[in-house]
Amino acid sequence: MENNEPIEAAYIWVVEASKGAVTDETGNFTIKNLCPGTYSITIKYLGHQEINDSLELVDNSFNKTYRLEEESLNLTGVEIHGHRDAVQTTTAVTALYGDALLEARGENLGESLKRIAGVTTFSTGNTISKPVIHGMHSNRIMILNNGIRLEGQQWGAEHAPEIDPFLADEITVIKGAETVRYGPEAMGGVILVNPAPLFTKKESQSELNLLGGTNGKLGNIAFSHSAGSGKLKGLGYRVQGSAKRAGNVKSPDYYQTNTGMSELNFSGSLGYSSSKLGIETYYSFFNTSIGILRDAHTGNLSDLEEIIQNGRPFTDGSFTYTIDNPKQVVSHHLAKVKSHYHISENWKLNAQYGFQLNLREEYDRRRGDLNDKPSLDLKLFTNTLDLFLDHTHKNEFSGTWGVNLIQQANSNIPGTGITPLIPNYDMFNLGVYLMEKYSKGPVEVEAGLRFDLRSVQTARYVNNELQEADLDYQNFSAFIGGLFQLSPTLSLSSNLGSAWRPPNVNELFSQGLHHGAAAIEIGDENLESEKSFKWVNELEFDRKKLHLSLTGYANQIQNYIYLNPTGETVVSLRGTFNVYEYLQNTAFFYGFDFAGSYQFTEKLNGYAKGSIIRAKNTADNNYFPFIPSDRMDWGISINFGESSSAQTNKLTLSNLLVAKQKREPDFDIAPAPAAYALFNLAYQKGFALENNKLNLGIQVQNLFNSSYKEYMNRFRYFTDDIGRNILLKINYQF
Amino acid sequence: MFNSKKAYLLTLLIASFSFIGCESDDPVPENDGEVITDVILNFQELNASGTPTGPITTFKAADPQGIVVGGSPTIQSVSLMKGKSYQMKIEVRNSIENEDITSEILAEADEHQFFFLGTAFVGSGFLTYAYADPSGDLIGLVGKVTVSQSTGFNNAIMRIVLRHDLDKNFPGASNPNFENFVQAGGETDLDVNFPVIVQ
Repeated sequence: MENNEPIEAAYIWVVEASKGAVTDETGNFTIKNLCPGTYSITIKYLGHQEINDSLELVDNSFNKTYRLEEESLNLTGVEIHGHRDAVQTTTAVTALYGDALLEARGENLGESLKRIAGVTTFSTGNTISKPVIHGMHSNRIMILNNGIRLEGQQWGAEHAPEIDPFLADEITVIKGAETVRYGPEAMGGVILVNPAPLFTKKESQSELNLLGGTNGKLGNIAFSHSAGSGKLKGLGYRVQGSAKRAGNVKSPDYYQTNTGMSELNFSGSLGYSSSKLGIETYYSFFNTSIGILRDAHTGNLSDLEEIIQNGRPFTDGSFTYTIDNPKQVVSHHLAKVKSHYHISENWKLNAQYGFQLNLREEYDRRRGDLNDKPSLDLKLFTNTLDLFLDHTHKNEFSGTWGVNLIQQANSNIPGTGITPLIPNYDMFNLGVYLMEKYSKGPVEVEAGLRFDLRSVQTARYVNNELQEADLDYQNFSAFIGGLFQLSPTLSLSSNLGSAWRPPNVNELFSQGLHHGAAAIEIGDENLESEKSFKWVNELEFDRKKLHLSLTGYANQIQNYIYLNPTGETVVSLRGTFNVYEYLQNTAFFYGFDFAGSYQFTEKLNGYAKGSIIRAKNTADNNYFPFIPSDRMDWGISINFGESSSAQTNKLTLSNLLVAKQKREPDFDIAPAPAAYALFNLAYQKGFALENNKLNLGIQVQNLFNSSYKEYMNRFRYFTDDIGRNILLKINYQF
Repeated sequence: MFNSKKAYLLTLLIASFSFIGCESDDPVPENDGEVITDVILNFQELNASGTPTGPITTFKAADPQGIVVGGSPTIQSVSLMKGKSYQMKIEVRNSIENEDITSEILAEADEHQFFFLGTAFVGSGFLTYAYADPSGDLIGLVGKVTVSQSTGFNNAIMRIVLRHDLDKNFPGASNPNFENFVQAGGETDLDVNFPVIVQ
């Protein structure tokens, strides 16, 4: 507290337990799972004198108020890490921030999240990648851009999330079924991409990132500036932008033709907060052009079979930044207004409105003027409104009750010269939910319930005939979870949640040729909603030098929708095509993730992480395609700096081991590629320059320039994956 | 200092007003202009000096619905005379939109090329083909087909492949019977098997 006003975002550190916390808007903080005993604590807040205190913890809970004295000295080296929107859940949660996020800078969202055990990617070449949590992706997971569920055309395997990772100062992955909290489709997990909280006092912070990569001659620049007003206390803003350009990617033996990309992103926010009220407005714009590997676009089945047999493009390609057809041009606008109001000490009312516009154009190789017209041209509007009430009662119950509305309108922009793959549609979803949590001592238990209603109206012309459909879905979902501190070093969390996902329009209405894939895909209007039960358990062990975490899960899904080869072919004047249809059946997913680190000496650290997933079509006793194979990433790092220094100075050598996927479905157009091992080298050094901070990073990915193919990359049929890439990353904070 | 409660209610009001639903546009029928529904082979006998003479015989492969499950093309048998030479003109049409795609192919002569394969052209010497496009480009919209005088059999398969976006300078691509045409890159726009009978 300062003048009896609460201080938000002050940092509290418990020395003996190596645990920390950050105060919330009311100046409160909680450090859980401490054993009785004597502890030394340190409280830090920029511009204030540090408090060092010793206290004795006798029984299960302990409360104390500290007053921070303002200090005129310039404090340096104090790191403030805002956790304002920390997720309150008993499910397994892992976050990427600080040094780990710094290392991931320049990568897309999917690639960045591969650093988290249990998260892999489903990719289309080396520029399009979708995050996969415990074997699920696309419409079975959810991505939140600063609290708003990202609504693009996420059903498509080659449709990457429309989000710039540079806007985040923390990316969190929730590995449980979170339909109750976030709405339908959050079945496999949720990804939260969150910017840092805005400043509420007169201060400012800027950050510049400059990146370069040898493979694809990548250039990337990102800048952000945040400041708080000196005139109106509580007023703060941030502007942020990034630009990225890369040319054709090189596999060890050849260039991949037409794999360049460009990206231009911007975001800005303005907020005001007082002790009672908080308002934040936010806007983000994402814009990208992505070239699609020329050789991956095939005319018919025999074309496809020829290139699969060849295993690589027929020509060696060359370097260029030019992006030609086939390509994607995607832009995404997201605007939101969020506010909260403290009705009383225990009750808080929240309202959040989000508007999104997603524009997607996909261009194919066509004849003449048609090359200038997209083959797929979609415009998707989404409105979301959340109203919820939070209550917190000290050491007892806390919870959230809310209403959530989603309204969506999808239109095909006429003039493509191709019958649209998906119809125009209007969707409306209403959800009502409540969640309650009870915490006492080492135990925390939570449960929640939600009811959703959804209606979808579709319309499309096929062969000059208007086809319309009117569909309704409804569902109850619920979860129950707990967090148990078993001993001072060991904690267990367990969460059982039900989730659901209504079938997507492409699953219902696809009809015809999937251009470039030599496949005819047939939807089924009568598909039912997927319903799942996911049980996630996480065991965490933390002792001074050793950290271990193990996550085990099982996910049973009824009416799991998948694209199944019928074994039939269609013969046409263009040649032969395979026919696929959308079917549904019972699926069972289970697996483990592990992550651990050990400090051998002051200079030497080691880590290992990995994941194992098993997924089965239990009704047919068959496997599903594109389930990640077993993998492990391990490495050692040498710390050159003084152990007392806050500046990073370390060299990390890591090794990624990926097994061959031996559990393949009966039918695939090509067998799973061989197992592979990759070596990566990274050097990270931080410099303190008066009040500023400079971070330098050099990374060598695929150190030995190995040729390999990843099972989860759809372009493994056509090409090797990316070869060696040397990256230079400069980060300057001032 | 303004009233925070008022501000909050105002925000709520703005939020609810902005929640005016956008509606999807009414769907519009698309002209599937790219679909090829008809491939027409026009044969005309060549005289000793290489000039086309006499009547034109037409053979057609048609797939009136385009690429749909259950539909399959109907393909006429090509009947030719032993020892004769013919000019073969290929016509490509979209009967659904009543469009002539032949001119589009001609306009993009550098990106398109027909290849002539199957037992009729490869290995048998049954038929021989030479490009004879008036522009001098190797396209195959116009060509010369010669029927062997002495063949041990009287029927074969004539596979006609139209490649789009290929590298025309790829070694071997100037051969109309180039079996490894996929190596020259690009993709297949047409792949039709006409049965051929010679008398």
